[in-house]
Amino acid sequence: MSELVIQTKDLNKKYGGRYAVRHLNLEIARGEIYGFLGPNGAGKTTTIRMLLGLIRPTMGSIRIFGQDLKKEKMNILRKVGSLVEYPSNYGHLTATQNLEAVRRILDVPKSRIDEVLDIVSLTKEAKRPVKGYSLGMKQRLGIATALLGNPELLILDEPTNGLDPEGIHEIRELIRSMPKQHGITVLVSSHLLSEVEQMAGTVGIIREGEMVFQDTISNLQQQASGGFRLVVSEPQEALHLVRGHGYAGQLENGGLSLEQLSDPEVALLVKRLVDNNHAIYRVEEKRRTLEDIFMQVIEQGGFQ
Amino acid sequence: MILRALSADLLKIRRKGVWFLVLLGSLGLVVLQALNFGLRYDYLVGKLYKEDAWGGLAGEIFDLVPIVLVLGATLIASQIANVEHLNNSWKQLLALPISRAAVFTSKYLVGVIALTVACVLLFAGTIGLGLILGFSAGDIPYLKLLKLSFLPFLGALPMLALQLYLSLTFKNQALPIMIGITAAIATMFAANYPEILPLAWPFLAYYAKPAMPVASGIILFILIYLFGTGHFVRKDVD
Repeated sequence: MSELVIQTKDLNKKYGGRYAVRHLNLEIARGEIYGFLGPNGAGKTTTIRMLLGLIRPTMGSIRIFGQDLKKEKMNILRKVGSLVEYPSNYGHLTATQNLEAVRRILDVPKSRIDEVLDIVSLTKEAKRPVKGYSLGMKQRLGIATALLGNPELLILDEPTNGLDPEGIHEIRELIRSMPKQHGITVLVSSHLLSEVEQMAGTVGIIREGEMVFQDTISNLQQQASGGFRLVVSEPQEALHLVRGHGYAGQLENGGLSLEQLSDPEVALLVKRLVDNNHAIYRVEEKRRTLEDIFMQVIEQGGFQ
Repeated sequence: MILRALSADLLKIRRKGVWFLVLLGSLGLVVLQALNFGLRYDYLVGKLYKEDAWGGLAGEIFDLVPIVLVLGATLIASQIANVEHLNNSWKQLLALPISRAAVFTSKYLVGVIALTVACVLLFAGTIGLGLILGFSAGDIPYLKLLKLSFLPFLGALPMLALQLYLSLTFKNQALPIMIGITAAIATMFAANYPEILPLAWPFLAYYAKPAMPVASGIILFILIYLFGTGHFVRKDVD
């Protein structure tokens, strides 16, 4: 197993009598893009705030770079860049001044400001006050700020929230390039699976404060196959025939809905139907979208 | 670490009106007296303060110093805090590798620096006005003017500390500003207050024996600052 950059053990955060985060075990390996998914209010932002030391866990431990966050907070934060929810730039300052205000605290060379502006393609706009920026530009500046200290770990909370498709695309490409070009591990949260599945290698799904799924995206995709569908000339008779061969199935929208079958089984079934003079119009695999699986996981709290 | 935070804070408060308030408070007092003395020159200089023109000017200026100090502390503290509140930037700032105590201390330092600059301007402005009004350059009562400019500020330090604490703690600035304005108005009646009341200290620091109000001012400032730091270091940041 590769080195874990973030590891939480039985992390809990309680507000009043309610757990915002409960028994959370997060594991993120070096160099990967980890998609942290869940509906709004599931506890993503609370978790991220705990990872950044903004709020204290009620219980449990957080280790980042193998160090205890409670004891080594400064050392850890020096290697972490973050963007928490909506942008938090200083509107009355220009992009350069915004970065300078953070640079003075990080104590990195001045040249780094131009580098990060270049990475997020804001060099041309750098001298304008940030309050005139579009949301997408503000988010890019937020990412530039997060990159300023040459972090090894980037924590981005809903970086594409509220952006238009072009903005989403830009941010996604930017995030995707991080591990390759800069060797940075990325934790990116979102409530949209479609957004994360195009960049993340591993996903964690959180629901009502609890982790309900944590695995590679390809394993999640394997859950996606959901049987197949036959459209035939005489569905009633065809169903009878199919059932006669021992397969489960039912009528659905004038077609036959069947369970998941192997390729030879499908071929055999089709041959039988044709032999019995059924006209077959369509054989479709019912591929559930990841969004469907996501909804299933969220609603049921895990795979059945 | 504190110096790095301070240097960042000084950059952030640009164009936020902090320095404008500093100028308005200090030179505003001087301009008011320029009008006062300009309009009633013969009466004030020729009759009322015939013996001690400089002392008369200092006394006239001092009448408004406590209220302006408390008002200034209120508005400047609010602006210093608002830089972070309005931009939702606490979370970004506090996720940086810098201790919360340093962040908090830096905000206090900005407040102290801003008001100190105002005091220096008041000192210089008062001398300038006296000279323009034709008071004798040889008779400038430097010590008296230094006391006028700086002792009330030391007496007002607890109010600055309180306003900074309230402004930094509450995102909604209505409460701190309301408290500050009420306190500022209340300083106008400071002559009637018992010595123990902090609101009387900016006034007492100049008129009565300054040792007690100045010393208590500094001590109470430090106490409020330490209490505020303790709270700020522990609190959850939304």
